[in-house]
Amino acid sequence: MAARKRATSTTDTSTAKPVPTDSKIEHKTQESADPPLAPPKSAFIFKLSLLLLAPYFYLLFCHYKIQHELKRSILINAALSLAGFFLTVKMIPVASRYVLRRNLFGYDINKKGTPQGTIKVPESLGIVVGIVFLVLAIIFQYFNFTADSNWLVEYNAALACICFMTLLGFVDDVLDVPWRVKLLLPSIAALPLLMAYAGHTTIVIPKPLIPYVGHGVIDLGWLYKLYMGLLAVFCTNSINIHAGINGLEVGQTVVIASAILIHNIMQIGASVDPEYQQAHAFSIYLTQPLLATSMALLSYNWYPSSVFVGDTYTYFAGMTMAVVGILGHFSETLLIFFLPQVINFLLSLPQLSGYVYCPRHRLPRFDPQTGLLTGTNDGTVVNVYLRIFGRKSEKSLCAHLLLVQAIGCGFCFLLRYLLAGWYK
Amino acid sequence: MAARKRATSTTDTSTAKPVPTDSKIEHKTQEFADPPLAPPKSAFIFKLSLLLLAPYFYLLFCHYKIQHELKRSILINAALSLAGFFLTVKMIPVASRYVLRRNLFGYDINKKGTPQGTIKVPESLGIVVGIVFLVLAIIFQYFNFTADSNWLVEYNAALACICFMTLLGFVDDVLDVPWRVKLLLPSIAALPLLMAYAGHTTIVIPKPLIPYVGHDVLDLGWLYKLYMGLLAVFCTNSINIHAGINGLEVGQTVVIASAILIHNIMQIGASVDPEYQQAHGFSIYLTQPLLATSMALLSYNWYPSSVFVGDTYTYFAGMTMAVVGILGHFSETLLIFFLPQVINFLLSLPQLSGYVYCPRHRLPRFDPQTGLLTGTNDGTVVNVYLRIFGRKSEKSLCAHLLLVQVELKSNASCPERQLPLSLDAAMDQLINLIFGKT
Repeated sequence: MAARKRATSTTDTSTAKPVPTDSKIEHKTQESADPPLAPPKSAFIFKLSLLLLAPYFYLLFCHYKIQHELKRSILINAALSLAGFFLTVKMIPVASRYVLRRNLFGYDINKKGTPQGTIKVPESLGIVVGIVFLVLAIIFQYFNFTADSNWLVEYNAALACICFMTLLGFVDDVLDVPWRVKLLLPSIAALPLLMAYAGHTTIVIPKPLIPYVGHGVIDLGWLYKLYMGLLAVFCTNSINIHAGINGLEVGQTVVIASAILIHNIMQIGASVDPEYQQAHAFSIYLTQPLLATSMALLSYNWYPSSVFVGDTYTYFAGMTMAVVGILGHFSETLLIFFLPQVINFLLSLPQLSGYVYCPRHRLPRFDPQTGLLTGTNDGTVVNVYLRIFGRKSEKSLCAHLLLVQAIGCGFCFLLRYLLAGWYK
Repeated sequence: MAARKRATSTTDTSTAKPVPTDSKIEHKTQEFADPPLAPPKSAFIFKLSLLLLAPYFYLLFCHYKIQHELKRSILINAALSLAGFFLTVKMIPVASRYVLRRNLFGYDINKKGTPQGTIKVPESLGIVVGIVFLVLAIIFQYFNFTADSNWLVEYNAALACICFMTLLGFVDDVLDVPWRVKLLLPSIAALPLLMAYAGHTTIVIPKPLIPYVGHDVLDLGWLYKLYMGLLAVFCTNSINIHAGINGLEVGQTVVIASAILIHNIMQIGASVDPEYQQAHGFSIYLTQPLLATSMALLSYNWYPSSVFVGDTYTYFAGMTMAVVGILGHFSETLLIFFLPQVINFLLSLPQLSGYVYCPRHRLPRFDPQTGLLTGTNDGTVVNVYLRIFGRKSEKSLCAHLLLVQVELKSNASCPERQLPLSLDAAMDQLINLIFGKT
């Protein structure tokens, strides 16, 4: 979140959840027995997985007749992702101990005034997700028998991008770079992709606009590459600013990733062009591990958060989704999935640009007595939602916002169905 | 260095140079005006560059007739690398401020007892080198007009490897992972390379052994990939343990990288097979940026060190050299360049395996009165050299060790040359010439 920049250079604050800057004073007293991490919220994750993945698996196994080779690769990838889920669940408590030891922690600002507001919550656990994801993605290359050299170039460029973004995200979490640099980082990390992108740089003009434009397709050339770079910058930073509530960053990623998977499988099932199918399969091969490892993180990050995810996670997740959108050739659909993030960005513009005063944190106000959050006048979806629909508890608010995200994705599918033929 | 594992979990130590663990107590007192970083040692770097690059440029421009396209790509890469040098020199002081603010620093153990031993030296500046290198390498793809899709796969796999290793190195610097995990990390980071490697997995049997083996080439298959993975683990960790003296880690990398460049250009000049030339060209495209950014780091890290490089640097550099050795198909030659590191590893084995007691630091003993280092009984090249050739100052010792790196390398490649009898005296004279009075 852009609002989380530290004002002073003294405190050791690097929090994903907004935190009062004075609370992160380095402690000389050593806690030799750090309380162990709360157990993962397995039941919640299991129910959420069923809910989000049921449509996907139905489409994959029953509804569409998918070519055998392709289905096998997808299933191998799913099995790898499942293994990655368990590995991540196991590694997060281990990493938390190391992270706490190095004073990478924060206090939960939305619990300030309650006993939970004094717990040191380990930060930057996105690094575990990033590393496990990269290992899964690297290993999967060995199992994809349908790969050709073009696919390998794009896949390795994607890995290089995601790896570089995770590196820059972790450097940001540790060193706390200025926000202007934070805006620049994703464009640098997206360069391998821009270099390796060998696809078309044309866009299809929506049918109603053809009379005005005069063409059915336009070749944008380098403009398209610029658009790709900006998409990467947008995806990473928009997740970063639509945050601050326990479980919101990972939750929105999980919802969007599920929508991406459903979209991919629908496009594979509905198409006969092998190249088109390959592009969407490519997206599946990277999104399944993203979903699995993110679910594992969510099991610790869901309300009440035992770990914070850090800029490492939001940058990693944003870049991965931008990469699959670009290489899968569905970036316009991806932007519609990102509708709440787009709205949040537009609402935030006055404050981010400095036109309106931008405080250190743009979070809702927490009342320790009632345990409810009240919306402030800041321009974020979180606050606007609270102002429209009244005070809420943190857990309820997050659930509402994720439901809004899911409805937005559902709306996108509806739109594509209704407009198919009219639009493209 | 494997010896640098923290015994306790309390102190916030993450030092590249060995440091007494009690010195890294977190300070509550805030230093408003951190003293600015000492200026880079530009004159020294300039002289060193001339020395190391002169043979390379001579071979590139005069001695060999190199195909025009290839020469143009190499020169574009060299220009990019030069820009990277200046960028790194500019970014290191900036990064140092951020790093110090986050308490990633160490005290120089080889200056303990002198005023310099109380300065907080910023750590993990290898991250600047890693990031600038990756940016240079990514941008260069655009300028390489001789690229085909096979080249692009290998290049992107190389970038993924090096990036992943830099990430793991930085995570290690920040979180200080256990040493068993440190051994495992490079094998994970090398996986993209192993997956993308589409070259031959055969080795050429040395002529004297052909009667015993029965073949003159042997296809190792998956064994060759295992060898590649082990090479990556070895290169990264061996630089890590041949360290502890100001400027040694970066210095050895700079010397080996120069040797790699000379080897590459010699192979290109002597060959007519375009695929062979491409492989060595590939190595040049990654080694020139490595050399340039490392020179920039050395300008701050040379004695007396203003910054420490961290495991980030040693892992990044080791992986880059392993990658170019593998993809350039000259890994056996690379191992010969790594001869001091191999000797150091063999000397270290008893202590690393636990057979002999392994102390926290295996550094020579520093005497604040004389300012000289004396070799201990630990099994490292640093200590053994001091025991053979007597006490030295830190700067002199590092210069000697780097010259040994050059000498052993050139002797290995040209066995007909003989080492001078009074090696120590000759080295002293040469060092005075290059490095100035030590």
